[in-house]
Amino acid sequence: MNKKVISALLCGAMVLGAATPVLAEGAGDGQKIALVGKSAGNAFFEIAAASFKETVEAEGGKVEVVYPETATADAQIKVLDNLISQDFDAICIAANDVNALQAKLTEAMDAGIKVSSFDSAPNKDSRQVFVNQAGTVAVGQALMDAVLDIAGGEGQFAILSATSQAANQNAWINAMKKIMEEDDKYSKMELVEVAYGDDEPQKSTDQTAALLQNYPDLKVICAPTTVGIAAAAKYLQDNESACKLTGLGLPSEMLEYTGDDDAHSCPYFYLWDMQGLGKLSAYTTMSLVKGDITGALDESFTAGDLGDFTITEADDGGTEIVLGEPLQFTPENIEEYAELY
Amino acid sequence: MEKKSFIKKLTGSREALLAAVLLVLFIVVTIINPSFLTVKSLMDMLKNNAVTMVMALGMLCVMLVGGIDISIMSTLALSGMSIGMLLKNDVIASTPLAFLIAIAIGICCGLAVGLVISRADVPPIIATMGFMYVFRAMGYLVSNGGQWAGAAALGDFKKFATTKFLGINCVIWVVILCYAFFFWFMKWTRTGRMIYAVGSNPSAAQVSGINVKNIKLLVYVIMGLLSGLGGALQVSVYASAMPDMQYGGEMDVIAACVIGGVSMSGGRGSVLGALLGSLILATIAKALPLIPFFDQLWLNTIKGVIILVVVVMNVVLQRIADKNALKGREM
Amino acid sequence: MAGKSGRSINNVPESSIKRMIFSWEGILILIFIAVNIFCAMFSEFYNVSSLLRQMPVYLAEVFLMLPMAYILVLGEIDISVGSIVCLSATVCCIVCNMNAPFIVVVLTGLLVGTACGAVNGFILTKFTELPPMIVTLATQIIFRGIAEITLGSGGSITMSNLDGFNAIGGKVGQVPYILFLVVILAVVFAIILGKSTFGRRVYAIGTNRLTAYYSGVHVQKIRMIIYTVMGTVSGLCAIFLLSSSFGANTTTGNGFEMDAIAMAVFGGISSTGGKGNIAGGVIAAFIIVCLRVGLGQQNVHAQVILLIIGVLLIAAVALPNIIGQVRRAVKTK
Repeated sequence: MNKKVISALLCGAMVLGAATPVLAEGAGDGQKIALVGKSAGNAFFEIAAASFKETVEAEGGKVEVVYPETATADAQIKVLDNLISQDFDAICIAANDVNALQAKLTEAMDAGIKVSSFDSAPNKDSRQVFVNQAGTVAVGQALMDAVLDIAGGEGQFAILSATSQAANQNAWINAMKKIMEEDDKYSKMELVEVAYGDDEPQKSTDQTAALLQNYPDLKVICAPTTVGIAAAAKYLQDNESACKLTGLGLPSEMLEYTGDDDAHSCPYFYLWDMQGLGKLSAYTTMSLVKGDITGALDESFTAGDLGDFTITEADDGGTEIVLGEPLQFTPENIEEYAELY
Repeated sequence: MEKKSFIKKLTGSREALLAAVLLVLFIVVTIINPSFLTVKSLMDMLKNNAVTMVMALGMLCVMLVGGIDISIMSTLALSGMSIGMLLKNDVIASTPLAFLIAIAIGICCGLAVGLVISRADVPPIIATMGFMYVFRAMGYLVSNGGQWAGAAALGDFKKFATTKFLGINCVIWVVILCYAFFFWFMKWTRTGRMIYAVGSNPSAAQVSGINVKNIKLLVYVIMGLLSGLGGALQVSVYASAMPDMQYGGEMDVIAACVIGGVSMSGGRGSVLGALLGSLILATIAKALPLIPFFDQLWLNTIKGVIILVVVVMNVVLQRIADKNALKGREM
Repeated sequence: MAGKSGRSINNVPESSIKRMIFSWEGILILIFIAVNIFCAMFSEFYNVSSLLRQMPVYLAEVFLMLPMAYILVLGEIDISVGSIVCLSATVCCIVCNMNAPFIVVVLTGLLVGTACGAVNGFILTKFTELPPMIVTLATQIIFRGIAEITLGSGGSITMSNLDGFNAIGGKVGQVPYILFLVVILAVVFAIILGKSTFGRRVYAIGTNRLTAYYSGVHVQKIRMIIYTVMGTVSGLCAIFLLSSSFGANTTTGNGFEMDAIAMAVFGGISSTGGKGNIAGGVIAAFIIVCLRVGLGQQNVHAQVILLIIGVLLIAAVALPNIIGQVRRAVKTK
């Protein structure tokens, strides 16, 4: 029977052994900021996180980048609980759900922790300010113009999105639809379908194939999601389809597929300055902690070498800071950006 | 007389019933959208479901001995991510070598799972649940904090999935070869028959001189091997390696086997069944976006209902078949 | 699976204190103490009040472990519970936004859960040949799918009236209400499983279904009841989850089934049926909660935490078996 006790001790020892290497170093001076991602293993987020960390550390602060177990709001709630228990000055979060984090983020704000968000925003009551990578309308406009340009002024196009619930994607798609209705120059464009690939390569491939089979005259697919655009680009390119592609993607993922000729499936696509986004989020969060801004409308502050920014009203009624216009990646500049992200 | 026995044979065999279900699915989908039944569309379907189809073979072996393995997609992520990073950092460049490394990693994972299950008597669902977390975490660690290996980083490796041999894509050849091999292996080799023996009655198998523990170890190694192969295929087909790839996909593989008539308590199931089961799932995945009636929101629900209907129908038809068989005996 | 090995019922509680200390539950208590000492050393923020503050979110999952233990003792599994949580949370939000009184919201949540559980139970008892894993896999997809359809293109819903949920999320001193409820429910479930005829029958079915059937146990009726209760408790979990998230979305409850199963199995409840008790499951649940809170407070990478839990899970089952084998080997020499 003693063996069982030994086994218990072994279990305990193993836990200790497994966990010691990841012991965090002691807290430093200056601001202590937590950056909460949507899920681990997201290249997109890593780039912004790295530049966020760099910026804060240059100012003498300390950043802890934390991920939830899965890409769900439930898991982020547990992360937030952990952060509130610690002595953070601010939390900057990319939210997995618009509403579900409200209780915890309000609790954090009540505890004196500043809350900013970037990439995807929680609702207006659960944040002080949102750092928007590019204005929703600006993204919709850029995508719509790209579709018009690539289609040559008329024809059918389809949208391949992430999930039907993805807040960012839905906002951009709605902006595109609105722009299309309002301006006459898009009158010859026809949006045939919005398909959802769930951000899985397999399902996105099935959806792309189905779009081509259902609409043989399809001229352009617009995929405002990084996984979807890569999967669709591969399918279209492998099949030498006449249908072209644009959307939002990572340059390093899209390098193989971008080109002006028929051998490439994507003439050009967009994303934003990910490093700039990390940097601006860092400056915004630090300004919140310093008390330079409170997240109210029309406040302005200086974000290092990025220049001056003013807080504006967001679509959801809250406040936001817009980084700038989306970046266009063309065959000319993609190699340079692919080195970065 | 002859005709009657043919019908009897048809209703008596699970595989024939499944083939009928598949045929009905094909016909219905083709009527709704004729573009489904073209060579290109079917090849797309096979290529896009190659990973699940190959891994269903491993799951067949595991389920035949009464086990289950839910760690497979973590093994896939670990092996796929490993070769992705090796290719990205230019450590290796050769495609066969990448496949070998992925398979070797898969075998190691399978060995770990198999040893824990066969030697330490841990129930398969628990052991593989533990390893599901462990291997997935290792995949993240290999990715060095969430790096991806995109198409450009994979060099010539991704060409494997676009190259054709005798007019058929290499990935589909891998699937065909795997199924041909396993058809032979399960039916005509001693080891294959031993797997069935262990699954139908472990004690009887033990008494008749089969090393039950080693057979149990073997099936998990086979599963690991195929998961490693699946990892290489996944990276090649989608030209991208991510640590979270195929998250939750193990349920598709298990569902493919169960739809194919593989019993979860062991001893019953065939390679043909696994093939038909995974083809039915592949057809559903391929066909649903082609059917215009449904809102996209409904896709998951419909998939669930179809799985449920197929397995329930399987049971009902089996009951009818059993009843008919009894009737025959009474006469 | 359980029927084949013909294992005997060996879970009759022994009265001797020595037995109790060296039982799996005794070891779990030791691990629990060890984990707490470790966490307290590891994280400077780890103390009773931070633990009590962070616990409610995890405790909602501990609810699920209780009926899941019954299902595992039967030798079965239910992987649809996470989706049931999602569906009942969704419906709760909708009813709440129709300005229904709080009691109606709660009843709706429980009712939706119960109905989902009953669907599982109905299919499994009507078609006894079907493995529970595959049926609940299908219903897992279906229940979440229905929630997706209900939520529509937004995929997320928030509640307008939070009073009721704030009330049940309240505390006595520092102790949240939910902790009391977990303890009460755990005691009720433990007594029913350990002391009642119903519990004996559950063990009998898990040990050898056929023998149980021939000795007059209503196997299907008992399975139906257990799966239905599993649904009801999932509804309860959804309600308490809402008190910390104020809304539902399509990923609500994702992966809860695995957490619940892990807690139960770590607590010594065998997935092959017929073995284990609630006490072990509850202690194990608290070990996992404390470990997650402690490691999380030092921002250990989420995947590393999962890795540790995975290793613990395997070790918890493998080590006693290996030690037993070694002992037997030594004895025969």
